[in-house]
Amino acid sequence: MGALRISRKRRSFWSYLSEGGVWVFLITIAIIQFAPISWIFATSLRNPARSMDLPPSFLPTAFEWRNYLAVINSEQIDFLLFFSNSLKIAILVTVAQLLTCSLAAFAFGRLRFRGRETIFFLYLATMMVPGTVVMIPTFILIRTLGLLDSHWALILPGVTSAFGVFLLRQQFKTLPEELIEAARMDGASFFRIYVQIMLPLVGPGLSALGIFVFLGSWNNFMGPLLYLRSWENYTFPLAIVTLQGYMGMGNRAHVLAAIMISIFPVLIFFLAAQRYVIQGIAVTGLKG
Amino acid sequence: MRTKTKLSAIQAHISRAVVPHRQLNRAKLEETVAGYAFVLPSLLGLTIFLVLPILAALVLVFLRYDLLTPARWVGLANIQALFTDQRMITCYWNTLRFTLGATFLNNLLGLLLAMGVNRSMPGVLKYLLRTAFFFPVLCTTASLAVVWRFILTQDRGILNYYLQQLGMQPVAWIASARWALTSTILYDVWKAFGYLMVIYLAGLQSIPVGLYEAAEIDGASRWQLTRHITLPLITPTAFFCIVISLIGASQVFDNVYVLTAGGPGNASRLIALYIYEVGFKRFDMGYAAAVSLTLLLVLLILTTVQFWGARKWVHYE
Repeated sequence: MGALRISRKRRSFWSYLSEGGVWVFLITIAIIQFAPISWIFATSLRNPARSMDLPPSFLPTAFEWRNYLAVINSEQIDFLLFFSNSLKIAILVTVAQLLTCSLAAFAFGRLRFRGRETIFFLYLATMMVPGTVVMIPTFILIRTLGLLDSHWALILPGVTSAFGVFLLRQQFKTLPEELIEAARMDGASFFRIYVQIMLPLVGPGLSALGIFVFLGSWNNFMGPLLYLRSWENYTFPLAIVTLQGYMGMGNRAHVLAAIMISIFPVLIFFLAAQRYVIQGIAVTGLKG
Repeated sequence: MRTKTKLSAIQAHISRAVVPHRQLNRAKLEETVAGYAFVLPSLLGLTIFLVLPILAALVLVFLRYDLLTPARWVGLANIQALFTDQRMITCYWNTLRFTLGATFLNNLLGLLLAMGVNRSMPGVLKYLLRTAFFFPVLCTTASLAVVWRFILTQDRGILNYYLQQLGMQPVAWIASARWALTSTILYDVWKAFGYLMVIYLAGLQSIPVGLYEAAEIDGASRWQLTRHITLPLITPTAFFCIVISLIGASQVFDNVYVLTAGGPGNASRLIALYIYEVGFKRFDMGYAAAVSLTLLLVLLILTTVQFWGARKWVHYE
């Protein structure tokens, strides 16, 4: 992981200038990237009556934490419920997908059985089909199963994924064969080998997949838009998009406070686990 | 006595030869059963919620179905309708411009910033830069599009405020046909390039440092190092990034649904939004399925062409 180090010899005026240019570029883009987030935060703390005022502030000028309380305690709109709906779905999908994908990936990566390659080819083939293409038939299926306006409509299709199996299979394949052979000699069942020997060793792959799946579910907008009907079932993104009109443009501070509430957990999680998130993406990038 | 020993010796020999064989068969069977048992939960989920819908789409194309009245077989009517659908052509044209613009900018910024970050600097600074570049990737596309509406709106929008400070006329970013698609591209780039940057960074870090050192000893300049080592060796990563960003960008939905709702007119209506509207506003499931199959076809062709073209510019060691 050596960062590129250029030796200090032959440093001219021009090389200093280009070095300076690189830094200006990096910092400019970093500011552009972060400005909307800090604007959300600063404006969510303004007095609602003044939240439309210009110039915009990127650092808090007021600290009206009441805006957050107003969002949380709102009579008509129960944001805590939306929050817990999103959380519930994301957790269930993540746990289910880690389980089913790691089981299948272990079989595809480490066990020899007839038909293995054929079934795995089916997985690869489904990975090629973009989600938009199956939007319509999946909706009809969900409707036929009577799952419309229920969280199962979002959970069940997320129970497994070809991508997850593919990602974890790569990880299982890198583990030494001797581990399995030795455990088989000692009479361990395949299930025990999977649980006690293999799973702990693919921790990085599991955490990468877990992060992807959780974020995918947490940020999912199209699914809830298609399947959910009644207020009390709404997820956070659907509620925010639907309610921005309802709460009125006059009350920007409340809309932004709600959005900030949805960003906070992700921000805290990312600041704590940045390395894993980045490694996870890098792994899929290089191996995928 | 002698024969007895011989017999037992033979028996021992047989049992040695046979039992492992039988055990082997049993082990094989056990492994097969285990294999299928392990795959089953995932295979079941995949079959019901992915394979079945894919097959259903192929049937749906031949039906007229509005969810309320029973489906009717209409033969090739949906497919014929595709050829005269002016609106779909417009949506594909928008999607093409969106996809090319977003893919180009995302990859350019992703690579440049990865090269910028991939240098020795204090750890804290690296952490802050990466957080700033990457954080939008993690945010909800739909919710943040609400924020971008506030930024881009014509009256009292933030971007226009600063443009006016600089003495420029305010621009109708969302409300004008001229700028709506550009706005969605800008939002997509803000949101997505950090993801590619991380992949590019991993690609850069997998280039052996020894190559640079050797070239430096030979007196190569910084530009020559970039031109003859970094760029050729990053091409496999770039290929991967371009493929995933083309496929991703051609399916963008949340972004336009919230930011511009496809408007004004059809100015920023992308193909995914069109499929959604045919299905859930016009309730024409059969035709929506037909349009989505054209998207599948387009993406298959596009990906094939890329893999074919990759031989010309991607360097594999």
